[in-house]
Amino acid sequence: MEIDKKKCVGCGNCHVVCTMGVITLDEDGKSVVNQDECVECSACYRLLRSEGYPPWFVRATRKVLSFLRLGYLGDVDVCPTGALTLPELKWPRIIRAEFSDPTITHPGTGVGGRGTEEIKSNDVTGRICRGEVGFVVEMGRPGTGAYFRDIEKVAMALAPLQPTFEAMNPVTQLMADPKIGKIREDVLNEKVLSAIIEMKTKLGRIPEFLQAIEKVAKEIDTVMSVGVASKCLRDGTALHEGWVRKAGYTLSLNGKTNLGLGRPLFREE
Amino acid sequence: MTNTLHRQGALENLRNDFVIFMTTAKGINREGSAAKIKEFLRICLKYDPVSIGSSKHGNIFQDDIELEQLVSGMKDGETAAAVFTGLDALQDVVEELVQADLGISINISGLLEEVQQCCRKADIERHSVEHSLGFWGAKDRLPEREILEFNTLCGHGMVSFNLIRKMIEYVKLRRLSPKEAARIMAKGCECGVFNPARAEALLERIKEKGL
Repeated sequence: MEIDKKKCVGCGNCHVVCTMGVITLDEDGKSVVNQDECVECSACYRLLRSEGYPPWFVRATRKVLSFLRLGYLGDVDVCPTGALTLPELKWPRIIRAEFSDPTITHPGTGVGGRGTEEIKSNDVTGRICRGEVGFVVEMGRPGTGAYFRDIEKVAMALAPLQPTFEAMNPVTQLMADPKIGKIREDVLNEKVLSAIIEMKTKLGRIPEFLQAIEKVAKEIDTVMSVGVASKCLRDGTALHEGWVRKAGYTLSLNGKTNLGLGRPLFREE
Repeated sequence: MTNTLHRQGALENLRNDFVIFMTTAKGINREGSAAKIKEFLRICLKYDPVSIGSSKHGNIFQDDIELEQLVSGMKDGETAAAVFTGLDALQDVVEELVQADLGISINISGLLEEVQQCCRKADIERHSVEHSLGFWGAKDRLPEREILEFNTLCGHGMVSFNLIRKMIEYVKLRRLSPKEAARIMAKGCECGVFNPARAEALLERIKEKGL
């Protein structure tokens, strides 16, 4: 994101809505975006309605109010002058927007933002079959963001366990070598709001995967949200539950349920 | 996509928070799905969701979104979601969706046991299940539990920690009512999965008892 300094009046509303907290007041009293840390999610641009006032009008109004010792409490969800400007992004920076902005359809997946269909369409795709477990390791979530150098660290820690990285996942598509979890060199210093390492393996291998995730979690400078999924038996039993508990980890009370209403239903051989 | 998987909160808060959403799969049931997505939304709307939206079209709390336009504007392969605060409404929606037999994948995020009971009452058995295993890594970088409860209501992380803090401050100063502050937060969540009713209740609680 960029801020037009000719228009900015330094109201600070964009500082508040910035998902990464990386918009600050510059020495000249106008807002500035830390371009290294900005993930190009455009939340500020979308959430702050442009009031379209001329900057001189806003400044003059403030001066008059200040002279009269009066204050003005403006709305928090506006940019008074429309100073936020969408930049034209080029490779590799453009992947920041592709992963972080949910309104952008990722070219590699056809899904908005960093997501994939995951278990949401498992009833028709059979992405995770009986006897298998799916893991989603969402790097940078919640609210912290992640550089691809950290994402690579986790992918490389898991790759020796020989998971099947999901081919339709945008992180997998950035892997130079999925066998070792290596990410393309040219994107390692790019930061995204979050990115999901998505893989599957056999149910019985749940303990060793969770231990590996726990170990590498100590080596990264961000947070990650971890999810685990499987296809249920005909009576609704989710077999991963027992394996996760046996491995000593706690499952959430809430989660996601695919109702199985998609058609045609995927039939396993 | 793990948008609605990691919603935080105590059991009593999670009891008022169910997100139902649809998905299509490329090459399987995506093509020609627009009419089914519209029907999905119409069914949801009959049971008074507290939020509704689509990442391509925004949510009902945004300034320039008209509900009818949102529904009629849905195209093949787009996603849509609705949020409900009680099991009764959710049960009615699920039963009507089963009857409608739209052929698109339907998922619910919420308390897993309640959702499973809901499925059984509708005479279906759940197909696949996903659990959250929580947050790992540099957790010292995360804010207070209450801030995370708000933040995780938007799976894409569009509601910043700082905006949440600001809204809490404004509610405490009585510059905004909890309802107004919750709606401002909800505006940021493009898909409409943010639960404004739950956010409002959380703000009321914080106003009375503090963080």
